[in-house]
Amino acid sequence: MPRAKIWGIIAVLVSAFLFALSIFSFFILPEGNFGFFSDVNLMNLHPLTYYSAAVPLGLISLWVLATGFWIGWVILSIKVVPPMPEIVEKKDNSKIKAFFLCLITAGLAVLLVYGIYLRNFWALAIPALVISAVILGAVFWVGMAIITTRATLPVNKN
Amino acid sequence: MKICLLTYRGNPYCGGQGIYTMYIARELAKLGHEVHVIQGPPYFPPMEGIHIHYVSNHNYFNIKQNYIKPHKPFATFSPLNFYEFIASKFGIFPEIETFSFRAYLKLKELLKIHKFDIIHDNQSLGYGFLLIKQFGIPFISTIHHPLSIDRSTWFEYPSDFRLKIKRVLYYPLIMQGFVARRMDHIITVSHDAANEINRAFGVKHEKMSVVYNGLDTDFFKPLPHIKKKPNSVIFVGNVEDRKKGVVYLLKAMTLTKTKFHLTVVDGGAPNRMYVTKWIDKFGLNDRIHFTGKIPGEKLIELYASHELAVSPSLYEGFGFPAAEAMACELPLIASDGGALPEVVGNHMETGYVVKSRDPYSLAEAIDYLLLNPEERKKMGKAARKRITEVFTWENAAREMEKVYREVIDAYSGF
Repeated sequence: MPRAKIWGIIAVLVSAFLFALSIFSFFILPEGNFGFFSDVNLMNLHPLTYYSAAVPLGLISLWVLATGFWIGWVILSIKVVPPMPEIVEKKDNSKIKAFFLCLITAGLAVLLVYGIYLRNFWALAIPALVISAVILGAVFWVGMAIITTRATLPVNKN
Repeated sequence: MKICLLTYRGNPYCGGQGIYTMYIARELAKLGHEVHVIQGPPYFPPMEGIHIHYVSNHNYFNIKQNYIKPHKPFATFSPLNFYEFIASKFGIFPEIETFSFRAYLKLKELLKIHKFDIIHDNQSLGYGFLLIKQFGIPFISTIHHPLSIDRSTWFEYPSDFRLKIKRVLYYPLIMQGFVARRMDHIITVSHDAANEINRAFGVKHEKMSVVYNGLDTDFFKPLPHIKKKPNSVIFVGNVEDRKKGVVYLLKAMTLTKTKFHLTVVDGGAPNRMYVTKWIDKFGLNDRIHFTGKIPGEKLIELYASHELAVSPSLYEGFGFPAAEAMACELPLIASDGGALPEVVGNHMETGYVVKSRDPYSLAEAIDYLLLNPEERKKMGKAARKRITEVFTWENAAREMEKVYREVIDAYSGF
């Protein structure tokens, strides 16, 4: 088997394993210690320890939510000439959806900040899980692409 | 002077950036300057007297499959590629931003050997340029038009929420505005574009210079031996680019008294999604012919065989197709979108200017010119004269040289 394919398989297996591990750590492992809506006591942590994790995670999450809000706001507020009636096929309700996008992202941002302030476990766990999922998902995707790519070299590279 | 030009796409046959850089590089070299070009793919071919430096790009945004190169299977995992890969999966167009960082790394390498007097970017404006500024070399950029125009003209057409989200994510307006305000100087290609850049990015007018684009008038010229097809009109441009206003031309076709035939040269739009639907809707299938991608020589023959060219754009920072048609002595009907009136010149003398988004005026203008052969001939000749006098790459390079000297002087004084 070509070496590239072996590394592709390793990338797929490692990313799948790490993702499974993070799901296990966040949702299954703590089950005996706390319920989904009850708090894990993060109060015992030194403020520096807590905020060294909470601030970067919170900032990344806020950046993602702000991007969502900004998209909604652009769609909601952009002023353009209405389209020629002949080419309009159906009613455009994107402004309503954009309004809800703004509302949801703003609400989530408030919840996130409040959650971090209260030292709620899920305010850190959910963003961490989402970020891990995106990065590991990309590694998995590329790994799969390496496995499924034909290993034939182009003529000039042979 | 030792000049370093940056362009994130070099190929002159797939977009305006490549054409601009290629001609500017060539003319500046002719003026005796040492010109280096750092370019991203697709690359333009090697040119005599120009030092070309290549930076890579995997084009993850456009290539959805087979992006793994068998000879470089792990290239996607390098930091910039991996960022580009993830960003493109979320609908962001990261090529400009990653080019700016790659150009920084390339420049860092080149500066060990060369000492550039000025660095001139061609509308990339990525965050990596803030690092390039740390080299202490005057750094300027050409902005053809702010991409906010593309975004708003795109929103003028009906689309759903998902597509609108994609469009908002696609255009890197926040980054370009942020970087543009921090460049030492901005060159733009028309006074209208300067106003739009001021409005969209907040770049002050005193920090901008207008240098008109040029046109290769030895290449774009009339071919008198080619016979004109009666009642033939040509449109050159990407029909899927909504700022080209092709829908207004289609509507105008249903309104004209003269039943003319339209040739569409749309090299940049291999996948026609919307325009075919609109053609069906207006019942114009038997009156329109698409050429697809054609070589430059064929394009000139097409200009020569048609009676009229139309440019109904909602906005143009400059409008190469309009200038090309004029250089080929073809009478042109252009909208007043963006810089087109600046390129066309005097209404009814060097071209016919109509209001943009107005199919009725467009239809009236097409009828008028198709029914007046003498007027067409006179207008075509005046159009070529204007292009050869005002819009040459030689003029552009001389103007550019003047701007470079002013910026370098101001920089050294600072």
